[in-house]
Amino acid sequence: MTYALYIASVVGAAALLLMMPRPGYNPRFLGGLLGAATLGGLWLYLSREMPYETGLARSAMACYYIFSAIAIGSAVRVITHTRPVYSALWFVMVVLASSGLFLTLNAEFMAFAMVIIYGGAILVTYVFVIMLAAQAGDADAADSPEYDRVAREPLMAVAVGFLLLAALLSVAFNPNAIVPNPAARGLTDEQIISGDGAILPNRLDAALAGKLAGSANGISTEELAPTRQLHNVERVGLDLFRNHPLGLELAGVILLVSLVGAVVIARKRVDEPGDPPASTTGNA
Amino acid sequence: MTDPLHSLTLAHYLFTGAVLFVLGVIGFISRRNLIIMFLCTEMMFQGVAVTLVAFSRYHQNDTGQTFVIFLLTIAAAEAALALGLVVLLFRRRRTLDAQAWGEMKG
Amino acid sequence: MNLDLIKFIPWLPALAAVLCGLCCTKKALRCLAAPICILSIASGFVIAFLHRGGVPPGGAVVPFFEWINIGGFSANFSYFIDPLTLIMLFVVCGIGTLVAWYAAFYMKGDKGYARFFTFVSLFIFAMTNLVMADNLVLLYLGWEGVGLCSYLLIGYYYNKPSAVAAAKKAFIVNRIGDLGFALGIFLVYQTFGTVSLREAIIAAEHVSEPSTAVTLIPFLLMLGAFGKSAQLPLYVWLPDAMEGPTPVSALIHAATMVTAGVYMIARLLPIFVLSPYALPVVAVVGGLTAVFAATIALCQYDIKRIYAYSTISQLGYMFLGVGALSTVGGVFHLFTHAFFKALLFLTAGSVMHALAGQLDLRKMSGLRTKMPVTCWLMFVGCLALAGFPLTAGFFSKDMILAAVMEKGLGEHGQPLFLALGILGLFTAFLTAFYTFRLWFRVFMGPEQYEMGEEHHGAEEHGHDHGHGEDAKPQAASDIKVEHHHDAHEMPLLMNLPLIVLAAGAIAAGYWAEHSGWIESMVESSTAAVHGGESAHAAELFGYHLHTAMMVISSAISILGIALAAYFHWLNRPAADAAARQYKSIVTLLNNKYYVDEINDAAIVTPLRTKGEIFFAIDRLIIDALVTLVGLVPRALGIGARRLQTGALQGYGLGMACGAAVLLLLVLFVAN
Repeated sequence: MTYALYIASVVGAAALLLMMPRPGYNPRFLGGLLGAATLGGLWLYLSREMPYETGLARSAMACYYIFSAIAIGSAVRVITHTRPVYSALWFVMVVLASSGLFLTLNAEFMAFAMVIIYGGAILVTYVFVIMLAAQAGDADAADSPEYDRVAREPLMAVAVGFLLLAALLSVAFNPNAIVPNPAARGLTDEQIISGDGAILPNRLDAALAGKLAGSANGISTEELAPTRQLHNVERVGLDLFRNHPLGLELAGVILLVSLVGAVVIARKRVDEPGDPPASTTGNA
Repeated sequence: MTDPLHSLTLAHYLFTGAVLFVLGVIGFISRRNLIIMFLCTEMMFQGVAVTLVAFSRYHQNDTGQTFVIFLLTIAAAEAALALGLVVLLFRRRRTLDAQAWGEMKG
Repeated sequence: MNLDLIKFIPWLPALAAVLCGLCCTKKALRCLAAPICILSIASGFVIAFLHRGGVPPGGAVVPFFEWINIGGFSANFSYFIDPLTLIMLFVVCGIGTLVAWYAAFYMKGDKGYARFFTFVSLFIFAMTNLVMADNLVLLYLGWEGVGLCSYLLIGYYYNKPSAVAAAKKAFIVNRIGDLGFALGIFLVYQTFGTVSLREAIIAAEHVSEPSTAVTLIPFLLMLGAFGKSAQLPLYVWLPDAMEGPTPVSALIHAATMVTAGVYMIARLLPIFVLSPYALPVVAVVGGLTAVFAATIALCQYDIKRIYAYSTISQLGYMFLGVGALSTVGGVFHLFTHAFFKALLFLTAGSVMHALAGQLDLRKMSGLRTKMPVTCWLMFVGCLALAGFPLTAGFFSKDMILAAVMEKGLGEHGQPLFLALGILGLFTAFLTAFYTFRLWFRVFMGPEQYEMGEEHHGAEEHGHDHGHGEDAKPQAASDIKVEHHHDAHEMPLLMNLPLIVLAAGAIAAGYWAEHSGWIESMVESSTAAVHGGESAHAAELFGYHLHTAMMVISSAISILGIALAAYFHWLNRPAADAAARQYKSIVTLLNNKYYVDEINDAAIVTPLRTKGEIFFAIDRLIIDALVTLVGLVPRALGIGARRLQTGALQGYGLGMACGAAVLLLLVLFVAN
């Protein structure tokens, strides 16, 4: 199986190399085809061994292939497109596709947070900056500047990148490399209520489950209900506030600091080549 | 709670995450536009986020998703600061080429 | 009486030291330094005087602030006040005030005026800490503090090479003694589990079976005392210490610091009696030092050096007294010696001042008409030092000699102490002789002198005074013409402290002994000797021992003075003839038994050679290795610098490459 991965890595690398921006003729279409073929072939080869029970619904598994293909394809366009605005838009596509992947993994909160924060906030910032950084006379120009049209050492970058990828994949698809954690085995609510106490302490809802286990006969539906129907949002929220309060506070501090920092950096006046000399007196 | 992932399914998600990450790396190395370079680091974050959520489902542990929240925080902070710097640098040299700042070599 | 004020005694001089240090910064402020210094020391004396009767029997501890307090170990800035401390405070602050007063005039015009008084204040701070310390660690702090101030003040004329060498010598020789003292303190802590003086003394009094460690303590402490108080074999620094300004010689190297060793042994007497050999050793060293230094003093020509050797000799007496279990005698001699030796040094300073730095005995004569007050003040000091009947030195020296003889002749007479007593009497004779040799030479006879080479208040002290032998008479007379000033009397204000000292040198002994003050003071302190045998007073020649000793020592001192008068006043050619006849002995003594030369050949030169060898090894091998080690990263850096292209993506590439390689390594090595 690993040889298939290595071959796919090499072919994929060649495909990406063809698509990298370069002066002169760009065999982008050829590269795209080759890449799509490699990805499709690899998936077909891998799903050969796929068991019936995957842990996902069948439809979710199908969604995985669709979103994954979109994500990878968009990612390739992000790094190969010669115009930064299009790169940014393709990146929005990557974000949307990976949000779809999160949905298949029952991580609804992450999916929507990703779309709102990445697609909505961060990418808007990027687009603004690209707009700010566009040269004045450049708007009507047919082509983007040279540094966008020509990649720097694409061969080297692609070689190293796919070396890394091959290494990562051989870990990911190596059955020995991933050792399942027995304590992290999934538990049903019935198991929790039946009082398999030995595996409870590590769990998020250990206290509540312990209470349930102690009074198996007297469980009221009101008490049981939250355990049964804990949503993804609730679980993440509980984990975040119960187990990582310090991290949460620090994240707030980091955001504040970067806010202040960004303001300070952006306020700094620079002598711009085209500015009238009067503005130089106002240097901060 | 839903069933845990089969390890082969997990590997599929890891595959997607790894590809996104590696494409980010390649883009960071080969592109010369500072904005695209930062966009590529965001793409590496995406790859990591996919991996984290997949592991979260595999281990039935929500900490993986919690970490994605932190990751989002860092990405937002980084984007704010990095883009501020990019604007500053652009104002100085009127170019976004990373090579323009290569005189800081040893 | 309230003892709260006591703790200010050391800290007022400390404050004064800071203020004087500030005075160093501005030329206009310089003249303020002396009043600040004098005032701080004098107020210390006043505080001590107010408490003269208010010290509870057995002493009292006045806590000031917490200093070191770790686990079971505590050493704090707290002061132990008992009568012995008070005596020391009277000496230190009293003599300190008078000397500072004198120095305020003596040092006038010197560019280090404020620096001098800074150091003096610092010295008083350290010295009062030393005598008031409640624990050995604080005592050691004071002990090292006075050593430091001594070093700073000996090297006061720091552009004079001999002064710098003397300062270093004093410091290094003292280190040897202080090592012993420090080890002694460690051993005290290990043995008694405390460094508090009171607790250690009480613990020592209850030791029934002294162990080896306990009997070792006195010998280690003794070493420190011998170093600080310039006893054999560590005395060599004191004569050289005369390179410092004369008031310093009077205060530090005669009256106070050098007596610290005597104080320490008296204070820790209960620990010293734990070993049956400790005090006899102290007595023997003291007795030998006394006679040894006195013989050297016979043939010196430098006035200050004569007094320096005399100080060593008198300190020997004090050790002899303490060693003979007569702490009263030892402390009494310390008390009286402070008066007359400070007086002698200060008058010698006046002579030196008047003669522009001239210190050579052979180049001055008949100064009595030029400086009558100084002449008679020094005469009083000399009488006291010579032990002339009814002067201060007579009583204290007599008390020591009587105590020694008593131990030698009493019921359980020890021949050792008999021999030491006879040695002491011989030393008394030598003392009387050399003291008056100096006085007759300087003030009597025909008026004839040469000026030294220093201006009054000269800013530059770049030459070696005091070794007038080399100075050619021709050159000296030229200088005399050039200076336009002649020997003269000191102003009255400058002589005032000397008059006080002279009064003390005459009357302090009689008063202190006959009012019983010194005895009651010492006997109610920790230096008290328990179980004394004074009831069985021994007899000598059919008289009471004390009476007999008084008569004998009076006779001896008068004989010494008379001999000196004959040889050095009335018939000087006879002295020269005698010197020629015993040329070898005179040369030996003039060269101080060649002790410095022997030390140089036996200790200093081998050490220096060894040091030079080590220095060469350090330079050639270790330094070279270090340089080589430093060169390697430099060479690597020259190569590696090329990799730093400054291109951001290059670094990204390196990172990705490294991550891939590491991952592959883990993958293949792990499986």
